[in-house]
Parts: sequence; C-alpha cells; structure tokens
Amino acid sequence: MPNDDIQDFAAMSAALTGFQLEFLKPALDTTNLSQAYFDYATKATQNEQATVQTLLTAYRAISTQPPQQIADTLLETAGQFPSPQALLAESITKLWYTGSWYPPGSVVMSEVVSSLAYTNGLAWQVMQSHPMGYSPFSFGYWANEPGPLSQFGVDTGSSTGAK
Amino acid sequence: MAAHRIALPLGAAVLVTLSLAGCRRELPAGSTGTQETTATATAAATAAPPPATAAPPAPAQPAIVLSPAIPGDLTFGGVGTLAGLQKDFDILSWNSFISLNWPPDANGVGDPAKKIGQDGDNPAVWEDFANVDAVFLPDGSTPEWGASGEIPPACKSLYKPGMKVLKQVGKTPTVLTANSQPFNTGPLIDQNGVYTRFEIVINKPMFDYIVANNLYSKAGQQAFTQPADFPCGSNPGPGNNGAEGAIMVKSAWMVIDAAQKGRFHSSEALVYSPPSENPKVPASCSMQTVGLVGLHIAHKTDSASQWVWSTFEHIDNAPTEEDVKSGKLEKSYNYYDPSCPADKCPPNQVPPRPWIPSQVSSYHSQVVRIFSYRGNEFAPESAAARNADARPLLASVNPKSVWTNYELISTQWPTNPGSNCAEKPGDQLGHPAPIFLANATLETYIQGMVPNVSSSCIECHNNAATTSGKPSDFTYVLQRAQ
Amino acid sequence: MSANQPQYDFVIIGAGVSGNLIAWQLGLAGKKVLILEAGPAVPDNRGQYMENFYTSLAKTPESPYPPLPGNGSTRPLFPLPDPGEEAAPRFTVLQIGKGPDQSYMIQESVPAKAPDGNGLRGLPFSSTFERIGGGTAWHWLGTSLRLVPHDLTMQTTYGVAQDWPVPYDELELLYGKAEAAIGVAASVAEQAPLQQAIGLRYPPGYEYPMPPIPMSIVDETVSKGIAGLTVSVDAPQDPTAYPVFVSPTPAGRNSIPNYQERRQCAGNTNCIPICPIQAKWDPTVTLNQALDTGNVTVQYQTVAVNVAVDANGNVTGIDYLQWSRDAQTGVLSSTPGSVSANGFALCAHAIENVKLLLMSNGRQGVANSSDQVGRNLMDHVLYLSWAMAEQPVWGYRGPLATSGIESLRDGAFRKFRSAFRLEIGNEGWNFPKGDPYTTLNDFISGTNDSALNPDGQRLGGLALATKLNELYTHQFRIAALLDQMPQPDNRVTLHPYYIDGLGLPRPHVEYGLDDYTLDGFLAAKEVCTAIYEKMGAKEYTEYPNAAAGDFFYKGVKYHLYGAGHIMGTHRMGIDPKTSVVNGAQRSHDCANLWITGSGSFPTVGTANPTLTIVALAFKTAQDILSTLT
Repeated sequence: MPNDDIQDFAAMSAALTGFQLEFLKPALDTTNLSQAYFDYATKATQNEQATVQTLLTAYRAISTQPPQQIADTLLETAGQFPSPQALLAESITKLWYTGSWYPPGSVVMSEVVSSLAYTNGLAWQVMQSHPMGYSPFSFGYWANEPGPLSQFGVDTGSSTGAK
Repeated sequence: MAAHRIALPLGAAVLVTLSLAGCRRELPAGSTGTQETTATATAAATAAPPPATAAPPAPAQPAIVLSPAIPGDLTFGGVGTLAGLQKDFDILSWNSFISLNWPPDANGVGDPAKKIGQDGDNPAVWEDFANVDAVFLPDGSTPEWGASGEIPPACKSLYKPGMKVLKQVGKTPTVLTANSQPFNTGPLIDQNGVYTRFEIVINKPMFDYIVANNLYSKAGQQAFTQPADFPCGSNPGPGNNGAEGAIMVKSAWMVIDAAQKGRFHSSEALVYSPPSENPKVPASCSMQTVGLVGLHIAHKTDSASQWVWSTFEHIDNAPTEEDVKSGKLEKSYNYYDPSCPADKCPPNQVPPRPWIPSQVSSYHSQVVRIFSYRGNEFAPESAAARNADARPLLASVNPKSVWTNYELISTQWPTNPGSNCAEKPGDQLGHPAPIFLANATLETYIQGMVPNVSSSCIECHNNAATTSGKPSDFTYVLQRAQ
Repeated sequence: MSANQPQYDFVIIGAGVSGNLIAWQLGLAGKKVLILEAGPAVPDNRGQYMENFYTSLAKTPESPYPPLPGNGSTRPLFPLPDPGEEAAPRFTVLQIGKGPDQSYMIQESVPAKAPDGNGLRGLPFSSTFERIGGGTAWHWLGTSLRLVPHDLTMQTTYGVAQDWPVPYDELELLYGKAEAAIGVAASVAEQAPLQQAIGLRYPPGYEYPMPPIPMSIVDETVSKGIAGLTVSVDAPQDPTAYPVFVSPTPAGRNSIPNYQERRQCAGNTNCIPICPIQAKWDPTVTLNQALDTGNVTVQYQTVAVNVAVDANGNVTGIDYLQWSRDAQTGVLSSTPGSVSANGFALCAHAIENVKLLLMSNGRQGVANSSDQVGRNLMDHVLYLSWAMAEQPVWGYRGPLATSGIESLRDGAFRKFRSAFRLEIGNEGWNFPKGDPYTTLNDFISGTNDSALNPDGQRLGGLALATKLNELYTHQFRIAALLDQMPQPDNRVTLHPYYIDGLGLPRPHVEYGLDDYTLDGFLAAKEVCTAIYEKMGAKEYTEYPNAAAGDFFYKGVKYHLYGAGHIMGTHRMGIDPKTSVVNGAQRSHDCANLWITGSGSFPTVGTANPTLTIVALAFKTAQDILSTLT
C-alpha cells in the first residue's frame, strides 16, 4: 500500500540519518520530502538490482530494532565491500543530508533534487547551522553559540525501536 | 528542539472548549458549518432538541459569521491536518476581515447595532487604527492614539481632521522606508497610469506596547535591550475575556472615479507624493477617491507567535496564470489589460525607473496572479471554499454590499509555532504553511516559489528589525522610528 | 544617429561597479548617458539567480549567473557551454584548466620554470568575471578595505614596481565617498591598531556609515588563540617581529536595516556567489540610482566591438553588436549599430576593456601607444590553508568572512617579497574541501578525500550524525591574499584564431608568478602554520591530488587560487610611455576616453579592490564632468 511505503521510507531514513522521524516527516509536513525522495530514488534505481522496494523489504524485517542497529545493518558499516543494496542505502542517506542524488557507489553528485530539497538538507542541521544561502536566523546570531544538536532534529535521545 | 510536535494550538482538548465558547457568541449550540441568514439559524435552533442522554454536546465547528467581534485566536475545528487547519485559519481570516471592516461606533469598536455593508459601503474599524505615520513622528515624540500624525506641507491647505492621507507609494517608498523585499519593490501602476497607494495601521494593543516600551523613537529603541514581543490574541475562556492581540493592517488603494464606487470599499483621501532629490521632484497633494484593492491582516496570537498572515484582494485585480493560459479572461481588470499580448505587456515586470508617483505614467503594470502553494496544496481549495461561504453571507446583508467584491487569497500560519506566545522554536520560522504566499497588489514582483526570495510573509518578516538592528517580532513598522 | 549630433553626452561600456557609479554621477549632473551592457538585463527579482544557485551541482561564484552550464533540468556541469557559441561568454572557475572548447580564455595550465630563471610561467590565471547587468560584483564578498599609504608608493618606499599617480590624501577622501555609496559597516576605533601596524589612517572625526558587523566565534577563537603572537619569517633580511592580531573587516553589507532601503544581514553565509536578500550592496543598487536621475539609459545584450577614433586621436563613437537568441530555436543573431557622444568610458573590467582596445581600429589598437594595454595582468593570488580547531568554532555561520589579520600587510619585507592580508573564513572547509559534501561522502562511502577519514570508516545513524557534527564544528580556514608583482609578460592579447559566438576574438592569457610573489607564498605558509600552532589547531593544508593550478616552489607543493581580483591590464601612471591612463583613469592617448576599473591599478596592494574601484570612479566622474560643457 502506498501509504505504508512512504511512512516506512521515512522511518528507515530516520534510522539511516540519525535524525528524529518527526523532523523528517512531521505530522504537518509542508515539505513532503519523504514522498519526493521516495519517488526520486525509486525512479533512479528502477532498472537496478537493488531498488527502493528491495531495501524497504529488508528494512521491514528489522524495523523493531534500535535505529543505530538498523542503520549499521542496512548500510553494512562493518564491512568494506557493501552490497548494491547497502550502496542504495548510502545514496538515500546522502539524499537526505544534501538534497542531492549521488548514484549508488559514487561520491559525485549527479543532480540536486530541488531548491526545496537543498534548503532542507540535513548536513546544515547536523553542523548546528543553516544551508548556505538560506538563513532563518537574525542579525548577529553568528556571534553566539548555536542551540544543542537535539534542537536541530538529531535523534540524540532515542534508544528504542523505530516509530 | 524536542521531537517535532504536532502543532495543534494550545492542545486539542483545550481548543474544543474554546471553540465552544467562541461559537456560542453567535451560533446556537449544536449547529455546524456556515452560518446562513439569521432566519436559517433560528430555524436550526428550533429543530429537534438534543437527545435526553448525557452525551456531551458536539463541539460547534468554527464558521464564518457576521459579527463585529474581532477573533482573538484560531478556533480549532478538530481536524489536525494541513487541510483541516488551513480551513480553520481561513475561517479566522474571514472573521477577521468581517469584524475589522465592520462599521465602528463612536469609540472605534464595531457597532453591534449595524451590519457590515448594510448601506453598501461603510467606514471600517481598522480605518480608526493608528496610521504608522502618526506613531513614528519626525521628532521621535510620544504619539497619541487618535492623533492624525504629521500632515505634509503640500496637503495642509486641503486637509480637514479625519481625512485619510495616503503617503506611501511603493512598499519601499522613497521617504518612508519600510523595505521588505530583496530588490526595492517596484510601484504598482494601474491601467490609467496612476500609482497605487499603500497605508499601514496598527491596533491599540500594538500601539500601547510601542508606547509603553518607548519604541516610537530611535533613542527609545536603542535603550530597549530585549527583543520585541508584541501581545498575543486569545479567545475568551473560563474566567477571562480573551485578548485582541497585536494586529497590523496594510491596505492598497487604487484611484477610482465616482462611477466605480459601488464596486469598491472607497474613501476620499489626500493622495500625497513626497518630494525627492533623485529623481528631482517636488511634493504634491490632491484629493482623490480611492478604492481598496488589497488588504493584509497580520495578527499575533497565542497559537501563532510568528503571527497569522491573512491576505485579501479585490476580485477584479488580475487573472491567474491558468486564466491567461486558457484564455478565460474577463473584459477588464484593475491591473491587467486582456487585449495586450505578452510580448508587448510582459507580466509582472517592474516599471522602468525613474518612478514619479505624482505623474501619470505611460507604463501600466500587467499583473498576473501566480499561485505558489508549495507547502500546503489544500490552501487554494480551502480559500476558494471559504470565499464561496463568505461572499453570499456578506451579500445576505445587502446584495449591493461592496464587501462582496473581495476574496481571500490564503492565510499563512506556522505549523510549529512554539509552545507559547513568547517562545519561538529553534527554527524560529515555525515551518509556515503554505510556504509561499503573495498578494498580487502588494508583492507583485516577487510571486514565485524560490526559497528566501519569493514572497513568504513569515520568512520575510522574520528579518524585520528595529533601527538599532535588534529583532522586532515580525514587524517592519519599528524601523520607521526617527 | 549621426556622428555629428550625438544624442548622448556620454557613453559607458559595462553596467558594473565603475560604470554604474560614473553613470549615476553624470546623471545627477544632468548629463545624458547611455550604458552598453554585453549581457542580459538585471532581472526584476533574484529568484531565478537563486534557483540556479540552489540547484547547481557546483556552488562556484558563477553558479547563479548566465550563461549556465548544461541545459535542461538536470544541468550536468560538463561539458561547459562552448564559448565559441556564446554571445557574451566569460571566464569561470569551472573553466580553469580546460581547453578552448570549454574555456573562454585560452591559456596554459602546466607551469614551468621561467626561461630567465625568475619564477614560474604557464600558470593558469584563476580569477573570473561576469558579463551581465550589474557585473562581476554581484558576487563580491563585501570586504571593503582601504589601501594603505605604502600600497601607493611601492617604488619610492620599497624600490619595486611603480607608484600610483594618486596621492593618498586624495584617495583617503574618495574612500569616504565610496563607503557612503556602498554602505560600509565598520568602526574607526576598531581599526585603530592598524594605524601603527600598517599606516592605515582616516580623516579626523571620520565615521563609517553603519556600525560594525559582529565578529564570529571563529574570529574570536583565532584572536584569543594567537594573543601575543609575533612572526619574523623574513629574518635575517628583515629581522622585525611583526605582531599578528585579528581585526574586524569593514564590509559593504547592512548591519542595520534600511541603508539604501535594503535589508539587514541575516548571515546567509552566501555572499559569494549571491546574497539572497541584498543585505550586501551590489552594483544594481547604484544602477537604480543612476536610472532614477532620468538621464541614464541602459542597452542590454550589446557588445562593443570597436572604439572609433579620428585622426586626432579623439574617440568619435562606439560600434557594437546587439544580440538576441531565438527562444524556440536557440539561434543567435546580432544587429550592428553605433553610437556617438562627447566622451566615452570603458568600464567592462580588466579583460574585456583590453579586448575592446586591442580589437579596435582594424586591430591596430586604440589608446595603446605605451604598449601596456593587456600587460601586467595581476591578481591577489591566494594561499589557502585550513585546520581543525581545538574546540568547536561553529563555522558555516554568518557572512563568509567577518575578520582578518591585516597587521602583516606592510613592512620592510616588501623590498623582496609579497605582502599579504589574511582572510579568516567563516565557512568551515567549504572553500578548501567542498564541505559539507566531501566529508559527508567520506564517512558514508568510506573514502578519505577530506583527509579526516584515514581509517576509511563507514558510518550511519546517530554515529554518522555525531561524527559529522564533531568534524564540521571544528573546521576553519585562513586564506592569504598576496600582493602580486606586475610583470609585463603577464598579458592578455587577442587570440589569433579562437572566436566567440559573435565572431569576436577571445582572450589569450599568458601568466606566471615571479620569485617576489612566490616568496610571498612561502612566507604566507609559514605564518599560517605559526598561527595554527599558537592556537593549538591541527593543520590539514595539503594538495594531494593533481589539478590545474598546482605548482612547486622551493620544494613545496602549492595550489594557485585566484581571489577574484583581475587587475593591472590598463594601468595608470604619470608617464604616457609606460602607462595607459592617468590618475583620473583618462587615456593618455585619447582626451575623451576613460578606461576604468581594477585594470587601472599599477600595483595591487593587499586590499580587496572593489572599494578602491568605487573611490577612483568618483574621481573619474569628476574629471569627465570637467570636460563636458
């Protein structure tokens, strides 16, 4: 069912990125990036061996595990030669962090999904800042320390299974 | 920030109670949906009585009502989705529009003995609010509520107390510098080559906060060391009457002739063009009949510390992109010439400089409304549905009511506002929905969907500051202090 | 338009920093001015430029501005548009090291020892420019530093290069006008320590138009960390121990709302390539002021192709091509035209001014009896270093740079090696390493392009997030802007056979650096390392990969970056035999021709050039008005 796909994709992405699910897909979701990224990744890998659906199947089998464990499993972080499926998990992680697509196995950006995706990239949150070119802050903020990492959407507290 | 909460204002349970209280002002308990004529409401009230069991009464749904009571805050309709809340905020917008345009009594409060539009047109409650020119005086002296502000020398011979004086030409005028756009916003020039005029007023709670904190002068702002924090509106609840909260209204006016008066809320006004060094022009002032073409209402409330942003346009202003593409055009518009092809009249183009408002221009703005509903695709649906409710309601008072010629474009509201009036979340914008919103008469040249550039009330107003550079709580009025 | 009855008093070529300033001044004085601009018009809002930037695969200085690389929605970066097909092609960062099929300027990029033994030749000139309404300074950083007195007297004071034909007392006053025209935020009191250090001075009682921009945490950390540091990297030739301290940088961006009706800076950290909210001044502000006079007209997509002169050496008119591209077919077409006036100014920046002068008069050249047009091409060549601070500094916040180390910009060492200023960057490792992207990819894919992942770790989830946070928040970089020596063999000429889409010759660039400048690199490297050591930061400056712009000097590998400052190609001087224009930027050869911009600088000092360009433009405007009746 399409609804499960997006919700599971978002929950999986939360685990992969280390961010809170409510941050990636809030109840009132004005950006709808889960849908946009699901669609993009699905289209980009439609002729590949590892697709978004195969990755979601793998995710669903372990979705009750703690998020860090899910991430390590899907990304195969313990190994040195990740499978095509793990490479896709890498691409999806990079997609959330940058708003751009890196084809599985590549460290070269192939496309920025959209300006909205760029301004919602998680890399800028993870550094406790804002995207270059999009500041929601006020004059002089740079002279003061930023708020804590948890304030920027990172899931610093949770140790339970995916929501 | 804690886990991204569902941003139900004040918690759903509390709101249901509040909405009951709010609705009870107008609707008999148990009636739902749009308020039709008084006759229909009476009929509903005399319908089958509620069942005798102890089930609690169904919460009254928020509805657009003919009432002079300015809503203090959102009334939550029970559906906490983007669509549901957009509907509630759009209802709030219409209720604000109706109450603020209600005919005032001698004290400036909406007169319960009258109805909006009963005589066709009427002066509006918000027109008794304080014009920013009367708040931020040239010598930084203390303003008085009800005072007229400085009358420019060029207007002195024409002026009589109570007259409207329209001084602002663009949203970034040469003399009064309330800039809010990345480029200097261009002026809006009508089909007769005449410049559109703007006016900004603030209500008493906003005025009182400015006076109490000496924010009406540069020196006073310099001494004010904390960020500005205007009072929030709230609905009446158990044991309290609620609060109006800070409201600012920005209006756009087009010069019209007497024959057009039936179709606009209109006013006689002194239209003032300031002198300038570059271009070198003298001041001028003349008496004109002006018709309202655009209205922004910004309201700070308990459920929206980033304020609620409602915007209305006259129905004849401009076609949409869709209308132009499909060729479904009206015979005439306030700001669009249907007979001029796109290559001769490129849409939404800034008029060429120099801009001289005292002269009739050979350039006419060719405005097309671009819907930019990224972030809440239900916004246009909801606005259209609320317009379909509100306009007949206004017509029911008097079919010739000028107020039936206005439509809600949409309402921008924060989905994640922060837990109370003063506090803002880490992302201080509060994730507005819809992400972009523009009024074709007030943000003509920055309609679109580019982050940080295209018109978004909350995103742009977030950058507003005092003359000493401190955050001014989403209002650009404070930077007018002298 | 007949040559006998000009409609215009004055014609300006180029709607950029100096062109718009001069047009404004002339328009205020009631003169009728026509600006010919090679590129497209200033857009009604910067939405399209921002959209271009947001969706660009490489956030280079040129990334918002047309012509864009690629086409269609995916816009792959390469191959770049063929400059042979473009009507107003220009040089971009992505073109450096590319061949003529992609690079507008034709130049070498493989350095070799100079035949005369002095330095290196064959280095790629690495600063770029735009050809659009508003010009290159759409993407200036905003740094508004004044040259210091010794910058104007390099020959007299240090026995090298040339003196400027403008006395500092005069320039000091012109700077005040420039700072008001741009809107510079700074405090004279905060600049006071530089009076002793480098001779910076202001007229008594002078105050900047706006209060200073607050320093960043990066600035404060460096400042505290180097407290008390002195360096004597030139001992024994110059044994002086120079103090090293941080100064806030005067900047052309609004520290309060409403200067010129523009917004207050919100720290978008994007000054280069574009400020989304125009808190930073750019030349379109001045262009609007020029248009407001009612006396200035701009004609876009109009490329000047010939400066017509009569037998007496007076300029009689400009011939041009006005171009357009068919929206459907993409076919480029152009219409010739010409315009005459009483006076003319070339304000098309240091490369295009040269190209026009050399093309003119049947390729015999105009205003070039000195043979200096195109020669002495200079840049502030950049030595870039980067490090990880001991504690979090939270880069990627605030304007791109808010402070620098200015105390090393002058001294006895200028007799034998380049001086430099140090710019402290607020954008982490964005410039040196392309972060956050590079480090992100390293820790997801297990690569080590950042040098921060030597073990090839692969991470996910919270482990990834906390690792990235730890690394990004400690990153910072320092760039040295070097005072490059003028060399006559560093020159721009017309390429004999490569042409652009309008059939005009493209620039051929020959470039290198002499030992004086290269020894400056060496000194900059030592100073940066000393700074990192003193503050307990771990330095990561290293250029492991091969790239155009790499070079070796005295056994050390460096990489050549340009600061974006193209200078020197039509230098000013007293002697018409050795200079192109005088101190007012008027041609020695043609009494009604001015050639303006950083191309007029005979030496480059170590201050970013824009403020000086504006200051000189005021002088030029006054000179022009003295000739127009």
